[in-house]
Amino acid sequence: MDALAASLSKSAVSHDESLEREFEQRLADCPKLAYRVALGVLHNAAEAEDVAQEAMLRAYRSFNRLRERERFRAWLVRLTFRLALDRVRSKGRRERHERAAMEERCETSIEHLVTSREFERQVARALDELPEKLRIVMVLAAIEGYNTREVANLAGLPEGTVKSRLFLARKKLAESLQCLVKNIPVG
Amino acid sequence: MSCEKYSGWMTDAAIGELRAGREPELLSHAMECEPCREALSHAMRVRELVERGVESLVEGEPSPQFVAHLRRHIAQGPRPVEFYWARWALVAPGALALALLLILVIGRMPRYNGPSPITSRLKPSPSSPGVAAAPDATRLNARASVSGRASERLPHAHKATAGLPHIIVPEGQLIAAARLSEAINSGRVDGTQLVVTQRDADKPLEVNPIEITPLDPPPTPDDEEKPAASTEF
Repeated sequence: MDALAASLSKSAVSHDESLEREFEQRLADCPKLAYRVALGVLHNAAEAEDVAQEAMLRAYRSFNRLRERERFRAWLVRLTFRLALDRVRSKGRRERHERAAMEERCETSIEHLVTSREFERQVARALDELPEKLRIVMVLAAIEGYNTREVANLAGLPEGTVKSRLFLARKKLAESLQCLVKNIPVG
Repeated sequence: MSCEKYSGWMTDAAIGELRAGREPELLSHAMECEPCREALSHAMRVRELVERGVESLVEGEPSPQFVAHLRRHIAQGPRPVEFYWARWALVAPGALALALLLILVIGRMPRYNGPSPITSRLKPSPSSPGVAAAPDATRLNARASVSGRASERLPHAHKATAGLPHIIVPEGQLIAAARLSEAINSGRVDGTQLVVTQRDADKPLEVNPIEITPLDPPPTPDDEEKPAASTEF
């Protein structure tokens, strides 16, 4: 009886060890992915880190059924995205009001424009106005360098769906950001 | 007219979806047409803005303390759920209930009282030494052990063959075998002769040359009988 208990305890320890080891491997690349997804939704480093922490913690607790690397990454992306959206919703009206008040006109060149704080706000606002299913595809595409196959894996969608959603997302963003470009002189 | 054609392509170029084959055509048109050149330039700037804008939004790394904080949270919180045990804990009561239900259903099913499979037993026949020495198939003894209808036909069979190995035999063949055995035991059929016949049947066939006898010569016209007139009108 003691031998059985010892054997069970030993196997439980070895199971825990292998679990920890695999999770350590995930810790090498997944926090960055979770952080960037959260950042794409929240546009705030501190909040993005907070949400990424929570997502990783939940991922650890459910790690037994998410041990396959690709499955883990896809699950983590979706969880982080949902947590970040929940955080945005809970922030309330005050934030939205502040954001709307921060409309300033743009700089004189694309280089200035894309590095300016205002431009970032404009893009963030345009991105926030996208429907959720377009937004996650656009955020993942930006993270993964517009590799539609990788985005399809992470979003758990067919590649064709990713392409069409990416098309729509870019179109809507382009429409939203057109006003900025009009003010930049050509050349 | 051609500018209208290219306006849709400009939109595609703006969102990075212009087909590879169309790009040179659009560019050569833009070189010649001032309004289209400006529109294309605008489209390309929008595309750059969109891509660089979204990329700038997701650029960044978690702080160096991220992993350390995570480890601290992990140490404070509960351990990962043992998924397999949890799953079995959910499944086990259902499986147990199903097993009990099956036992109840099977226990209440009416028992089958019909005839059991008809069997015959092998027994060397003391009265036919030739048969006893023959291969197993020919030593079939029809003192069959049967139950149900077959045992009614052969009332003493069961007792006589108790303890012998059973062979399941189709009903019709059993009766035929029983009759053959009775015939061998009573001496009406010679068992040895049967074995010899069986061995003869196993031998390869001999092929004899075919003898062809010549046909009779054809009859002369005088010999031919004229057919009677079949019909008269």
